[in-house]
Amino acid sequence: MHTVAVVMTREGRLHVSLSGTPISGDTTDEPMVAMASTEATAEVAAKDPSPIAPEVKELVWGGGAFIVLFVVMRVYLFPRVRKGMDARYNKIRGSHESATALRSSARADVTTYEGQLAGVRSEAKTVIDAARQTLEAERTAAVAKVNASIAVDRASAMSANEAARVAASGDVRDAVAAVSTHAAELASGHRPDASKVQGIVDSLISGGAR
Amino acid sequence: MFALEFPPINELIRWRDLFTSFNKISIIACLAAFVSMLLFFLASRKDPLVAPTGSRNLAERSVEFIERDIVMQTMGKDGMGWTPFLLSLFLFIYFCNLPGIIPILQMPATARMAIPLFLALVVWVIYNAVGFRHNGFKYIGAMVWPKSVPVGMRPLVGAIEFLSNIVLRPFSLAVRLFANMLAGHMLLVTFAFLSNAMFTAQTKQMFLRPMGVLPLFMLIFLTAFEVLVGFLQAYIFTILTAVFINSARHIEH
Repeated sequence: MHTVAVVMTREGRLHVSLSGTPISGDTTDEPMVAMASTEATAEVAAKDPSPIAPEVKELVWGGGAFIVLFVVMRVYLFPRVRKGMDARYNKIRGSHESATALRSSARADVTTYEGQLAGVRSEAKTVIDAARQTLEAERTAAVAKVNASIAVDRASAMSANEAARVAASGDVRDAVAAVSTHAAELASGHRPDASKVQGIVDSLISGGAR
Repeated sequence: MFALEFPPINELIRWRDLFTSFNKISIIACLAAFVSMLLFFLASRKDPLVAPTGSRNLAERSVEFIERDIVMQTMGKDGMGWTPFLLSLFLFIYFCNLPGIIPILQMPATARMAIPLFLALVVWVIYNAVGFRHNGFKYIGAMVWPKSVPVGMRPLVGAIEFLSNIVLRPFSLAVRLFANMLAGHMLLVTFAFLSNAMFTAQTKQMFLRPMGVLPLFMLIFLTAFEVLVGFLQAYIFTILTAVFINSARHIEH
């Protein structure tokens, strides 16, 4: 069975021991040496100052080092670094402000441009409307003019057509009357009155046309 | 029997003089001040108008840390004038703590009582001076007869406040820093000794040697933990200083 023993000596020396195990020859002597050493140093250790008590030389050097650091930092180093930081912050802030101003200016320019664009568009619309109206009026006038010309041409053509029809109708009647007269002459052996035949033909054609 | 002997505590934390009245703790304290000054000196030589890098970045981050996370949190904008003092305090304590994990040095200067005690006394003098400067003798009056508590409680609270402000605060400030750093240092030493002893044990119990890895892992973990502790203790000391100064300025609260 193994046992572990921890022993604190008066001067703060700590012994940790593990027993009950098969061991090498060397280690058996060590505790005795250590104990002898402990006994020998007990007198010296008793005179050692407390490990908690502050040492004057450490107090002086540590305090001096801190005071030097604080003075140099307060008087020289910190103001320089802080000044540099402030300069950069101001530069960044200035750049930021100028960027903001530039953005505002750009926005104003855009607004002006959009206003001008709207004016131009309105003006263009007016011009386009006027042009459209002009074109419409011109188109209407041209159409009317063409229609009038067409009407004249149509009337002329119709009158020419009517004249041709009348002429053709007269020719047809004359031809029919001549044929009828000749047919009657062949059938009866004497020539009928041409005016009567003409009258009969006219009445028949007129009746047929009805 | 397998025996492990730890050296006496004085062998671990007391150092022989390198020359008259100058020992390892003194070197570390001087180095802490020198490194702090060197950092800010190098930072101050760089062009401040370009984006900060290296030492300038570190210095500016530390200034902003003190201003934003300590001064503004405890004293408000009125306390900005205390930044150089609090910054010096923080850097000095931090660079005194850090050698606890730096090879060769391997001793935080604040694991000795002298430096924490000196700094706590400086803080004590300063916050009491600030209290008298801002409030005159009302500083003591408001402390021993606090008007913000019921009349019946005033003697008791007044006595506690007086004791706290005049005696306990500097003591607790110094002991907190000293004890934490000493405890961390002792833990590192303990696990280092244990690990070494187990690796070099002259024993037939062969399982002991590989088990030396366990305290070694613990030593590595505690070393990393001491980085955090060193920073944290510097921060706590500095922020408590700011709180004490601010409470001395507004003692009626």
